[in-house]
Amino acid sequence: MSVLDGIYAKAKANPQKVAFPEATNEKMMQAAYEAGREGCILPVLVGNAEEIRTLAKERGYEASAFTIADINEETEKARIIAEYVALPDTKLREKALGRRMQNPLYYAMAMQKIGEVSVTFAGIDNTTGDVLLAGQMMIGLAPGIQTVSSIGLCDIPGFEGSEGSLLAVGDSAVCTNPTSEQLADIAISACDTVKSLLSWEPRCAFVCYSTLGSGQGELIDKVTKALAIANEKRPDLAIDGEFQFDAAISREVAKKKVRRESKVAGKANVIIWPDLNVGNVGVKLIQQFGHADAYGPMLQGFNGIVCDCSRGAPVSEIKGNIVISAVRAAGMDKA
Amino acid sequence: MDRKELENKIIELVAVSYNKQPSELSLETNFKNDLSGASIQMVALVAEIENELDAMIALQDAAACNTIGELVDAVEAEL
Repeated sequence: MSVLDGIYAKAKANPQKVAFPEATNEKMMQAAYEAGREGCILPVLVGNAEEIRTLAKERGYEASAFTIADINEETEKARIIAEYVALPDTKLREKALGRRMQNPLYYAMAMQKIGEVSVTFAGIDNTTGDVLLAGQMMIGLAPGIQTVSSIGLCDIPGFEGSEGSLLAVGDSAVCTNPTSEQLADIAISACDTVKSLLSWEPRCAFVCYSTLGSGQGELIDKVTKALAIANEKRPDLAIDGEFQFDAAISREVAKKKVRRESKVAGKANVIIWPDLNVGNVGVKLIQQFGHADAYGPMLQGFNGIVCDCSRGAPVSEIKGNIVISAVRAAGMDKA
Repeated sequence: MDRKELENKIIELVAVSYNKQPSELSLETNFKNDLSGASIQMVALVAEIENELDAMIALQDAAACNTIGELVDAVEAEL
């Protein structure tokens, strides 16, 4: 069973309600429909109900496949606003929230915040910046986290790591040149992401060009400081470094280079890059030379699951990301 | 609301969002150098401006302001 097959099976065992604020988009509606029809999720289309119904009919979808949340239904909107503003730590008050909720993206996130859906899935019409801003404003960040970031999941043929052919890597998409504090946040969020999605016990390595002081300089200082911050913030997590990439994932290399006890060295299942240059090049190397499939990027750091899909993504990829996000949400509920 | 009232109000909102005392802030306070906040604090500030002043400022416009004074200019343009 491939990793994605396993994730689909998990989703079907506990389907989550997923809100689609870009429901009128043809690819998004098709992906929502297919994921719903396969029993992976319960799709909730958010927007102008009449327009959504008309488009669904034109496209040949049974209306019963979806729940529709009508942003123009004032009584329901007022109820959501009242429940939302009564929650602690929300940023917008009634008037400002009501205005924002004219946008289906904000309406969907308000529904998510009050617990009516588990995920907001967007990004095909909205920009990444729109989704990140709405997520920070409406959902907020996870306790103790100040940074939105991302991880990806690589399935690398022939790689025999501590999770078989799988390796989680981050951040390869969001944080350009993270500070030590941000790197620590990325590592902590990544551990929580793999726990919720894959039920892994995370073993997370900060990588750079030095293993335990073999190199020196400001690029390494940033990483060692991040490690100290992460360990102080979350002593319950196995986060270690600084390691070179091979010392992080190869038991043989770790035996030679890491001459102290480590729960992570040689058997890391989560890799944290020092910056986006390394992250982007690293993922491309894994894909080009390792012939890997890369899933994601998955946004993390929010106090809930917020997804931003690529605007050029085909329906199959959108559907895969919808299912991944639903499984993450189910995993977060259990945590 | 005149310019002085707006300046005072925005200093008050920046103080709340960045967990500072208003007396520590001025129109010359630089977001990056003096406050060194994370982006989530700027998001909170944009939300507070929306709540209190009924002005919607795009996050990227707020984030482009170097100083509190520049943010006052941006909000004033929206009112």
